[in-house]
Amino acid sequence: MNDTPDLEQAATADSGGALDPREAARLLEQTSREARRQFSLTPPLVTAVMGLVILAAYVALWLSVLGQHPYSGPNLGVIALVYVTVAVGSAVGVKVYQRARAGVSGSAVALGAAEGVALLVSIGGSPVIQGALHYYGASSALVYGVIPAAGPLIVVGTTLVGMAASKADWPQFGAALAVVAGGGVALFMGPINAWLVAGIALFVGVVGYAAGTVWRDRAAVRA
Amino acid sequence: MTAEVLDPLIHEQARLRILATLAALPEGVALSFTRLQDMLELTPGNLITHLRKLEDVGYLTSKKTGNGTASRTSIGLTVRGRAALDTYKAAVRRLLGGL
Repeated sequence: MNDTPDLEQAATADSGGALDPREAARLLEQTSREARRQFSLTPPLVTAVMGLVILAAYVALWLSVLGQHPYSGPNLGVIALVYVTVAVGSAVGVKVYQRARAGVSGSAVALGAAEGVALLVSIGGSPVIQGALHYYGASSALVYGVIPAAGPLIVVGTTLVGMAASKADWPQFGAALAVVAGGGVALFMGPINAWLVAGIALFVGVVGYAAGTVWRDRAAVRA
Repeated sequence: MTAEVLDPLIHEQARLRILATLAALPEGVALSFTRLQDMLELTPGNLITHLRKLEDVGYLTSKKTGNGTASRTSIGLTVRGRAALDTYKAAVRRLLGGL
C-alpha cells in the first residue's frame, strides 16, 4: 500500500487555533498518555490478568502434588491445562505486540527482537537442566518438583534483570529481582511447596511490574 | 505574553499532538505516516503540512523507503525536537504556575 506522499508534496492550510496554556497542558498530557497506552507492549491490565492466570496455574500444579508420598510430580491433566494457558497467554502477547509495534521502526525495535531471542533461549535453560538431572538419575523431587518450579524463575528472571538494567527499565528490574529471589526461596521449600512459592513470586513480580509501569508512565506524562 | 514564551511551531494543536505522540517512543524509533495519521485522526494533507513545518526546523526527520505502491514514510523525532518539546513543557508549567 502506498503509505504516503512524501513531505515535499505538502500543501494546505494550517489548522490554526490558538491554545491557552491550560488547554496546551491538557492536550499534552492526554496525547502522551494515549500514545504510551497504544505503544505499550505490556498493557497494565493485561499484565495484571496474566499475573492472576499464572498464580492460578501454579496453585493448580501445587494442588495436584499436595500430599504425594513419594513425590511423583504434577498430574498430566494439570500439566496439559498449564500448556494450554501458556499457549493462550503467548497468543495474547503476540497480538498485543503486533498492535503496539504496527508502523514502528528503528534501531530500538531491532534491539527488542534480539531481547526476544535472549528470552527464548533462557526459557529453554531450565528444561535442559531438568533433562540433565533426569539423565543422571536424580530423584523425582528434583526432576519434576524443585527444578521445574524454581528453575525458570531464576534463569529467566536473571535474564530479565540484565535486560532491564541495560535499558534502565526500573519497574522491570525490580519485578525480575523479586522473581529471582522467589525462585531462590522456592529451591529450598521442597518439591511440593516449591510450586506454591514460585506461583506467589511470579504473581508478585508480574503484578508489581504492571503497577510499576503505571507509576512510571504517569510520571513520564507529567514530566 | 504567551506568544513570547511558547515556541510558536509547537504551540498549535495538531503539531503539539504530533510531537507528544512521537515523544512517547524511545529515541531512535520512527513511526509510519499511516500509523501516525490513524492515531491523530488527521487528514493526510493536514498532517503533511504540519510535518513539513516541523521537519523544516529540524524537529522531525522523515524517511521514505520503497517505490510506488510499496512506498512507506517513517517519521522520527530528532534530538532537537525532543529538547524543544521539553522546553515547551517547562514553559507551559511556568505559565500555569504564574496563573
